[in-house]
Amino acid sequence: MQAQSFARPRRSGNLERTAWLFTRISAVVLLVMAVFHLLYMHLAMGMDAISFQLIAWRWQSPTWRLFDLVLLVFGWLHGANGMRIVVDDYVHSPVGRIVARTLLIAVTATLIVLGAFVIFTFKSPSPSALGQP
Amino acid sequence: MAAIATIFRAVTYRGREGQIAWMLHRVTGVGVFLFLAMHITNIFLMSFPSEVFNSVLVFYHSVLFKLLSVFGLYLGVLYHALNGIRVMIVDFWPGAGNYQAPLWRIQLVIFVLAFVPSAAIMLSRMF
Repeated sequence: MQAQSFARPRRSGNLERTAWLFTRISAVVLLVMAVFHLLYMHLAMGMDAISFQLIAWRWQSPTWRLFDLVLLVFGWLHGANGMRIVVDDYVHSPVGRIVARTLLIAVTATLIVLGAFVIFTFKSPSPSALGQP
Repeated sequence: MAAIATIFRAVTYRGREGQIAWMLHRVTGVGVFLFLAMHITNIFLMSFPSEVFNSVLVFYHSVLFKLLSVFGLYLGVLYHALNGIRVMIVDFWPGAGNYQAPLWRIQLVIFVLAFVPSAAIMLSRMF
């Protein structure tokens, strides 16, 4: 059988190629970070432990804030890029596509701004006020 | 309408591993995407006094949501992650496309081996 790569090389400056590549690069990042995040919160911490206090305790560390910020941006953009393809597959009318894409961009901008806002502006209470979560 | 037609075709079209793998990848992807929208909105509530965030958690700590977190979110993320690895192997490894179907079956075995014990631990901690 002829060995062939399904990754067809294309010229640069192509939005679809960039999106295709971004999906895979962000996938590798999320494979490590999103899976770790899920296992950390659900296996190591447990769902009943999740509370304001637990997240406040985590956000005392700038590293955790950076972790969450990277997860927010890569996770959401990976998903939004996937949804763009899903929309293209199921929405065929030109008006429908404009509406759906505008909505997707608006939701993307809103959620990334809201998420980044809380990560950057959250004021950690004093460690003694938090206690052991 | 296009979505309904797609569902009809998916049921009647006798696709094999590749089609099923693709369908599950899409369903889990959209599912995780919708969860993420809710999740980010929720975490934004950390900007308000702790009572606001903790009152929303009543919903997260319900039995239904706990079950959904294991059999919806965790299952979906794990499938999407493993299938994504397979897609990338097929994309970047010359010749791997010829083995996409056996790769998918191997992937399902890995999925079961990873999901069953970890989901059991999650459930045992919840109930």
